[in-house]
Amino acid sequence: MTVWLEVALAAAGVNVLLLLALGSVWLRGYRQHGAQHTLGLLVFAGFLLVENLLWVYFYLLHPAFVGWFEATTTEVQVGMTMLCGLELVALLFLVRITWR
Amino acid sequence: MEGVLWYVLASSRGGPSRVRIVRALDERPRNANQLATELDLDYTTVRHHLDVLLENNVVDRSGDEYAAVYTFTDATRANWDIVEEILATVGED
Repeated sequence: MTVWLEVALAAAGVNVLLLLALGSVWLRGYRQHGAQHTLGLLVFAGFLLVENLLWVYFYLLHPAFVGWFEATTTEVQVGMTMLCGLELVALLFLVRITWR
Repeated sequence: MEGVLWYVLASSRGGPSRVRIVRALDERPRNANQLATELDLDYTTVRHHLDVLLENNVVDRSGDEYAAVYTFTDATRANWDIVEEILATVGED
């Protein structure tokens, strides 16, 4: 297992946790007042959650995908890792302003 | 400004408390201490929410830090119809 695979898996896993936290704030807000703005964020979190669960599934439980990842070049591995890694950075900013 | 107001008042964790603060400030300008008493909130909690509102240019502070009275910024006044829409949507908590 390459280190990039582990980093990508970890990023996708943390993304799931952050999205659950964000989603819980937005769901609570939407239930309370039903604002369109909050609903928009909730839908956004929902789709991103599905996306990241898919990544976790591929990285953790899909031997063919893992085999391809390990066999490919480092630059592709880094690029794949950045998909979830950069999303993690973006979500951290969102958590910071949402949690206040 | 519209997006900021929706986010700060409706879509973040402290939104409901900040809505109460905005309602109280709409009645009349007050300082943090008066807000804490009026809303039955912890003083540090009120200061936290006021800091968020300050950082997002929703309110202004006049006078020195401790006794400062909080008022709405020009940006907020210019978007007051949106503030009213948010207050009507979010309702009393």
